[in-house]
Amino acid sequence: MLGEFEYLMITAAAGLGDQAYGAAIREEIERTTGRKCSIGALYTTIERLEKKGLLTTWMGEATAERGGRAKRMVRVTPKGVKAAKDFYDVVIRVSRGASWVANRTGSTS
Amino acid sequence: MTTISWSFVEVAARLLEGDDREAVLGDLLETGEIGLRGLFDVFGLAVRRQLALWKDWRPWLASCGMALPGSLLLMGFSLSVSQTYQRLIHPTIFKATGLTVGPGFTLLLCNVFLLIAWSWTGGFVMGSISRRTVRVSAVLSFLPCMFCLARFRVESLSRFCLLLFLLPAIWGVCRGLQIAQIKLRSALILAAGITLLTIPTWMSKGSWIPNWALSWPAWYLVAMAWKGEALKERERWRTN
Repeated sequence: MLGEFEYLMITAAAGLGDQAYGAAIREEIERTTGRKCSIGALYTTIERLEKKGLLTTWMGEATAERGGRAKRMVRVTPKGVKAAKDFYDVVIRVSRGASWVANRTGSTS
Repeated sequence: MTTISWSFVEVAARLLEGDDREAVLGDLLETGEIGLRGLFDVFGLAVRRQLALWKDWRPWLASCGMALPGSLLLMGFSLSVSQTYQRLIHPTIFKATGLTVGPGFTLLLCNVFLLIAWSWTGGFVMGSISRRTVRVSAVLSFLPCMFCLARFRVESLSRFCLLLFLLPAIWGVCRGLQIAQIKLRSALILAAGITLLTIPTWMSKGSWIPNWALSWPAWYLVAMAWKGEALKERERWRTN
């Protein structure tokens, strides 16, 4: 099963689609979680997920704003999509009945 | 100030490998993190990358199984060869008899060959077994050298006699970094040669431990070359 940060990474990359690369994924994670994401954590997780076959990466285009340096592009594989969906299902299942979930849905169960 | 801090980041990024360096420096420029945080980020990634390598057994074998004990033993053997040389090849011998040398000359020659072969194979294995941690292995092999050089107290010999093994070892490391393995035939000749040259020391008690500690890299090369040949053979069968 995925770890929390791995799930965030896959979800952010999937959301960014063709624009998923190191800096964009990092910005997305920091924006949505409100937490700092170090480059070390980002790239070691990308490599780990790639080894597991959940992501594929390749060196993309270089842009002027990057000082002519290439981007490391990221794409989520079908196996990665399944792993993220499994993780999400588990979170939903395990959260049923939790007070914060009940409050959010308005249920009193 | 910004230029200076970016220069530090670029220097630190040399710890990373090509694609990593390219992507990370680009990301930092794009997000404008070119100060201290960028520097910490680069160091953080370099440390994580290095630590990840040590989850495997190869870096441990290269550093703790080869570099550290190997350099200690080879320093001892370098000293022994130097002392034998000093004892046998005295200048007066040449003065009196021209090319006539002492009876132990063959032994000295064997020991010189053995020193070169042990150093080269040790260096080769150190370089080829774990290329990305070779810097750590190099530091681990230099530490005992520095310690022994500082405490060397033999008046008749230069302290650099301890480092006779260094040149062939560095040559071996360089070759190990260039090519992952040598041919089976060459590996077998090397291993058999080393084993034959150690025969004279088999009679002396306690010498088998340093002998095998320095000889295993040669037989490791044989095993790796044999494995490589077997894989090639299997591949050939599959394609035919």
